[in-house]
Amino acid sequence: MSLDFIIYLIINTAFILLIAPLFAGLIRKVKAWTQGRQGPPVLQQYYNLAKLFRKEIIYSPHASWIMRATPLVNMAAIMVAALFVPLVFVPEPVGGIGNIILFLYLLALARFFMALAGLDAGSSFGGMGSSREMSIAAIIEPTTIIVFAALAIVFKSFNIFVMFASSAATGALTTPTIILIGISLFIILIVETSRIPVDNPETHLELTMIHEGMILEQTGRNLALMELSAAVKLTLLMALMINLIIPAGLAVTLTAAGIFIAAILFILKGSLLAVIIGLFESSMAKKRFFQLPSLFAMAFFFSTLIIIIEVFA
Amino acid sequence: MIQELFIAALLFFGAGFVLPLAVRSDRRIVRTASYACTILASVLLGIPAIAVLLGSGTVIFPAYAPAGLFSIAFVIDRLAAFFLLLIAVVSACVALYAIEYSEHLDGGSRRNLLCGCTSLFILAMVLVVASANTLSFFFFWELMAAASFFLVMYEYDQPATSRAGIFYFIMTHLSTVFVMLGIILLWLGSGSFALDHLADTPSYLATGSFLALFTGFAIKSGIIPFHKWLPYAHPASPSPISALMSAVMLKVAVYGLLRFLLDVFSPELWWGALILVFGTASAVLGVIYALKEHDLKAMLAYSSIENIGIIFMGIGLYIVLGTAGLPFLATIALLGALFHSLNHALFKSLLFLTAGSVIHATHTRDIEHMGGLVHRMPKTGALFCTGALAIAALPPLNGFASELLLFIAFFESVTVVEPLVKVFLFLCLALFALTSALSAACFVKAFGSVFLGMPRSPESAGAHEVPALMLAGPGILAAACVVLGLFAFQVLTIAGFTIPVMPDIFLIGLLLLMMLVLTYAVAFFASPRTSRVSGTWGCGTHFQEAGTEYSGHGFSEPLDIIFSPLYRTRIRNERTFFDEHGAIFKSGTAEIRLLRVFEEYLYLPVARQFYRIAGAVAKIQNNCLDTYMLYVFVTILTLLVFLGWSA
Amino acid sequence: MIESAFVAGLVRVLFVCIIITAVYIISARNLLSIVSVYAVQSLTLVVIALLLYLLEGAPVLIAIAAITFASKVLIIPYFIATIQEKIRIKRDIQFHFLSPTSSLFVSMGLMLLVYIVLERVMAATGDRDNLFFFGAVLGISLMLMGMMVTFSRKRALTKILGFLSMENGVLLFGLFVTELPFIIEFLIVIDLIILVLLTTILTVGLDSTLEDYHKRLHRFHLWEDEVEVR
Repeated sequence: MSLDFIIYLIINTAFILLIAPLFAGLIRKVKAWTQGRQGPPVLQQYYNLAKLFRKEIIYSPHASWIMRATPLVNMAAIMVAALFVPLVFVPEPVGGIGNIILFLYLLALARFFMALAGLDAGSSFGGMGSSREMSIAAIIEPTTIIVFAALAIVFKSFNIFVMFASSAATGALTTPTIILIGISLFIILIVETSRIPVDNPETHLELTMIHEGMILEQTGRNLALMELSAAVKLTLLMALMINLIIPAGLAVTLTAAGIFIAAILFILKGSLLAVIIGLFESSMAKKRFFQLPSLFAMAFFFSTLIIIIEVFA
Repeated sequence: MIQELFIAALLFFGAGFVLPLAVRSDRRIVRTASYACTILASVLLGIPAIAVLLGSGTVIFPAYAPAGLFSIAFVIDRLAAFFLLLIAVVSACVALYAIEYSEHLDGGSRRNLLCGCTSLFILAMVLVVASANTLSFFFFWELMAAASFFLVMYEYDQPATSRAGIFYFIMTHLSTVFVMLGIILLWLGSGSFALDHLADTPSYLATGSFLALFTGFAIKSGIIPFHKWLPYAHPASPSPISALMSAVMLKVAVYGLLRFLLDVFSPELWWGALILVFGTASAVLGVIYALKEHDLKAMLAYSSIENIGIIFMGIGLYIVLGTAGLPFLATIALLGALFHSLNHALFKSLLFLTAGSVIHATHTRDIEHMGGLVHRMPKTGALFCTGALAIAALPPLNGFASELLLFIAFFESVTVVEPLVKVFLFLCLALFALTSALSAACFVKAFGSVFLGMPRSPESAGAHEVPALMLAGPGILAAACVVLGLFAFQVLTIAGFTIPVMPDIFLIGLLLLMMLVLTYAVAFFASPRTSRVSGTWGCGTHFQEAGTEYSGHGFSEPLDIIFSPLYRTRIRNERTFFDEHGAIFKSGTAEIRLLRVFEEYLYLPVARQFYRIAGAVAKIQNNCLDTYMLYVFVTILTLLVFLGWSA
Repeated sequence: MIESAFVAGLVRVLFVCIIITAVYIISARNLLSIVSVYAVQSLTLVVIALLLYLLEGAPVLIAIAAITFASKVLIIPYFIATIQEKIRIKRDIQFHFLSPTSSLFVSMGLMLLVYIVLERVMAATGDRDNLFFFGAVLGISLMLMGMMVTFSRKRALTKILGFLSMENGVLLFGLFVTELPFIIEFLIVIDLIILVLLTTILTVGLDSTLEDYHKRLHRFHLWEDEVEVR
């Protein structure tokens, strides 16, 4: 493992932890504006996390070690997954870090524990959340893997680092197909981060909630860890889209100036995407749960179409 | 040396079989001695297996040929050694577990029979794998089937068990018939019983033989639509036997298929596609049926169908990529299939054994009557959780490592030239991804409703942790799951396969540990360490009951509805009315049930046809001695005429 | 001058657009949006024709683009929209034989089937350009998908749109395979037929001399400018 790579590990982890709550806050702000509200400050997420970190934890009497371990495991898995997606600087891949399948399964590991924690306290809200989350995760999986396969075809590699490096080398779109893949990635982002029309991240209403239901029993710093990991996951998937579609500015060599510019540009591009996500969410109504499969069937059809066109034409 | 160790292992297995049958008294010491023989034999078997696997060369035993063509010969090459190792590891752990488990069974001295037959069963599987020609393969295959039948029928006085046993008996013999047919066709083609490459055989014979053998092995390994015996036989048999059957016997069928494909046939593209299609169908349908199941062991049985499907996908992919001229990718797919066989053997026997402990503690197989066991059986819970993580293919455990190999083979197959094959592979890939995500959902449900939440029955509330011996066997398996997962890359390298695109999972494990420590440290130092216990939030209710928590059924309900076209629920209602307009209701019945598609549309029609034919044949059996004497007379006469004719 | 590889890439993206519009016509419930999606589909064809002009430089392509733009992007959607403003039926939620989700997978299967068949048919013609070959495949698939609309949807308007999108398939096939000067006349003829067909419907719908028809519309509260009676 070279020095470059170790620096990358530190930069990437620190950067993503720092900016992750920003995007989540920005989306919330945009949604508030479109609803004609003032909304919380963009930095509210940071205050929330700081407040939650200082609070004591309350456990249910039925809760077991699963409840205690989940926030840590979840955070760790998401942070390792974060190492797979370079935000500002793309080094040479080492030991299979950046493997797209491993990336997916790290997210799955986090989800598995989160779902178990939802069932742990014996609350029906948690169970409902876990059940729905696992169902949705399962039926979106074919779409996800097909989109990643399409990426693998386009970039002739299934390592995220290599993909980013080649898209950064072109500076712009590698082929127009990337736009279509980008649309698919956007759908996956919406589904994976539990946003409208799949789930409503704002409510604790039992009929609509999925992700929020699962973490209903989490308190104090455990809740802070869960929220932070959700924000990091959002940023990760956003970064995947951004660095594939508009890679301009992504640093491929390790220089302070390059990384600084890349970071600024990334925050700008990320904010733009966050605004788009906010507007998209505001323009949609939450779908009924059992309408989701046909929505996902559409997404799957769309992604398969991309592959078919890419393979045949 | 290897030869001697192997024979010693066989002898010890034999001792394990003979001892409890010879000493018929119902004493614990007899059974423990028998299991000890089995464990010792497994260890002895493991050593030569590892030696051959690491490249000490193929070992050929002198053949024993009592009469002409019929000969029994053994050979241990790397493929056989791999499966012998698999059998050895699982058998040792299962026997360790069974020492304590069988003492808690009912049945008096019948338990001696159980441990004797277990030993015989393992011996038969070892001999099948080591067989050097088709005849001895077939002979031991039949021995394996018979031994396993006795084991399934352990609780023969239960009607459900005897029904399951008969079902299993029929299916397993159907498998034997097809295997025999395949072997005969091979003999017609090549004129020998050796497991050699077919040189100049007419292709229709080779194809026919392949199809027969494939059907035979598919029945035995539970490929859909021949899978129905698994969810019947597994819940009926004692847990160690379920573990052995699911983890090892299914793999022996996989071994059979691989042996014939690799050594005898030269496969064509459509063979691979056929195996891939059946594998994919089994994987997806298996896990979808598993989700619906709330009998813990039947659920594990369906999950075995899923995993066998994944293994078949690997084999199919191996052939497809091999015929497409991509030997390296084909090797990755084959390695994935083999590695998944080993991994599935480990985590499925782990799950069956821990499920056995849970069932022993709660006296029920219905997961709706469990719950809250993680507080009462913490160690079993942790072991089951390891198994669930492994089977859900989550990093850094072993289930992930083998599925990763298959994913790599699929992803790299974008270089396959034929576009249609590519699209076919992508569809299989999508279904494969669906399978592994659904199996994660399935095992969240299993672990969640068995171990988490509140106990939903008095038995579950009063459950206790099982004795140490019943933890030791699963403990070794769980450790193996973790080690094989973390060091998958290194293990493959030691075995001589370096795959550059394979990520080093140990590194990922280290990173995970590092991040875990980091998060813990930050959380520990930066936030107050106080915590208190207060009731689960229940919308302001005063007390919370187990009945209100999410049950296993509830958990899988969304997926049930989404996949409802596959489950084929039948809703039947009949109403009668007082008037002819149908306005005044008189009486009615309504019924909602799950359509057992395969049973009702495939098995029963076939069975009915056979029943009809059997009825016709039965007419010549009229229970009168004179008639039978007439038959004998006619037969001899016919033979005489035949002899005169042919001379 | 734009790179031809990039143009080919754009054409591929447009292929996806066409299939998606076709799928939308099969599965959408809102009649108004189906018409605009049909317009988008025709517009995509126009753009494809223009891009092909960049690749090949045959001036007839521009003529095709122009005629398609005028007839199918502007005139026909305008007429249909006029009918829809008048008639109260805004939704077509009934499906024959195929549900929206299953029609997605059926159409994917259709595409593969057409590919296999066409590959066998064209195997004799020797070397071929993948893009053009796939354009032809899509043309036939689009035709078949349009046909699927005509039998799987219930409302007459949707059926007509299915027929129109069938015709778009013919056009697409023509763009990529057949000798263009021959096909152009053929296309115009078909276009005219469709126009005639449409006008008949329009007269049935708009002409007040067919009083029976009108009365029926009134009786079933399907005419927009009638006073709500509760």
